[in-house]
Amino acid sequence: MLDIHKLERRWFKYKVKSYAPYIIGLFVFFLVLIVITPKMKDSDKTEQIVSSENQKSSDAKMANKESSNILEPSMEFLQSFQTSTPLTVTPAAIIPKSVQSPRESIPVPKVLNVPDSSTLKIPASSPSLSSDKTISLNRNDSKLDIDSIERRFKETSNSNLGLFIARYHYDHGNYSDAYNFALKTNSINNKIDESWIIFSKSLVKLGRVEQAKKTLQLYISESNSDAARSLLESIEQGTFK
Amino acid sequence: MENSLFSKPRDLFLDVVNAKDYVQIDSVSHMYQSLKNSVQKPLKMILLFGKPGTGKSMLLHKLHHDLSKHQKVLMFDIPIVDEDDFLRVLAQRIFGHSPREVMTLTRFLEIAEAVSYPEVPIVLLDEAQLYSSSLMEKIRLISDARAIKFVITLHKTDKEDVIAKEHFQTRIWESIELQNATAEELKVYIQKKLLKANCFDVANMFNDKNMKLITALTKGNYRETNKLLFSLFTLYCWYEENHSALIKYNALKSKWIEMAAIHTGLIRA
Repeated sequence: MLDIHKLERRWFKYKVKSYAPYIIGLFVFFLVLIVITPKMKDSDKTEQIVSSENQKSSDAKMANKESSNILEPSMEFLQSFQTSTPLTVTPAAIIPKSVQSPRESIPVPKVLNVPDSSTLKIPASSPSLSSDKTISLNRNDSKLDIDSIERRFKETSNSNLGLFIARYHYDHGNYSDAYNFALKTNSINNKIDESWIIFSKSLVKLGRVEQAKKTLQLYISESNSDAARSLLESIEQGTFK
Repeated sequence: MENSLFSKPRDLFLDVVNAKDYVQIDSVSHMYQSLKNSVQKPLKMILLFGKPGTGKSMLLHKLHHDLSKHQKVLMFDIPIVDEDDFLRVLAQRIFGHSPREVMTLTRFLEIAEAVSYPEVPIVLLDEAQLYSSSLMEKIRLISDARAIKFVITLHKTDKEDVIAKEHFQTRIWESIELQNATAEELKVYIQKKLLKANCFDVANMFNDKNMKLITALTKGNYRETNKLLFSLFTLYCWYEENHSALIKYNALKSKWIEMAAIHTGLIRA
């Protein structure tokens, strides 16, 4: 006679055994899924932040570019900076001889009052200051960030950083700062179109239109830059705003 | 419980070899016809081989049942391993001679020569792998002398194939191999067996899914199938008596088939 209840128990054990590999497989699969999904979300988030920040402004892009340039600082220019006092000397003294030609006839620009970044007082209430953990991409909009970039520029004399700072100040209406940093950038690398253009535009904004025209004419004669020519035309026609 | 719908089907699948229970399936019928044709030919030895449970014994019993109506046929379903006893039984039952002296091969052949039949007597030896080499050699000599025609069955295993080669390589005139049943063949086998006993309702419960499972469990082995179905119908009898609501009459429950397989040892659980 069959013991049905015992047989049913044995059958149940058999079914559990036969399904065990599939159950374990599914369990492992879901476990892997659970472990992987948050990581993927994190990486997606980071990517989104990066892309959104990249699109925010060209400044942010430049900043990223600069941060990559930090890896290869130009020690040559560091030396030239260390030996000079950029805030008080005339640009002519800074500009190396090899790059003198377009600049010799440019009216000697004066370095305007640029507050030393090291002496800048950072407001304690600044949100970016509140935590050191703030992600790097959010720093672009803060005053602290431009200060740190200026500090880095001072340390490295990287022309890209100088251009970035000049552009930043120009965009924010700090034309004297823009003028000064464009001037510094030109002294480091006199072949950057944009730096000369910011320099000239800053001059115009500061009301020194004639000096701006002269600078542009000399730069055009040297570099044949279309952008500079276009800017000169717009200044001459009075359409530059 | 004896009045259960499933008690009759259960008894049908008791593992008993009986020629009357022979179920005609196409492939097996073909084999059987080949065997019958071979027996009619003037051959000395016919070998029927296959894996255990492929129906060799059943076929041999069926052959015995059919041939015994027309000619002298002797069936050894339980091997007689002692040579003297074997020859003595042969002499007595085939030729009606019971010598008092020790039966030697020479003496046996003398007796066989003295008795003449219109057709050579046939001896059917089941489980021939159990016979000793020496006795098999004597059987070969008897068949060579055309005193008796032998139909023998062997299990098809590596060892027994060797035995077949050693003893019968040049003696076997015809060999027939039986194969395990396919799902379709097994279904025909089960349903024919049930229909033969007028178990129509139960026969209709076997669907293709059930048959696939049964074939997978028994590997098409008729003996294992009989055992499995016997257990299965015993289970059905119990459920019919205790939990009749659980029974579905349009198909067999896979769970109960598996439970029967666990009980018969086809599934290790």
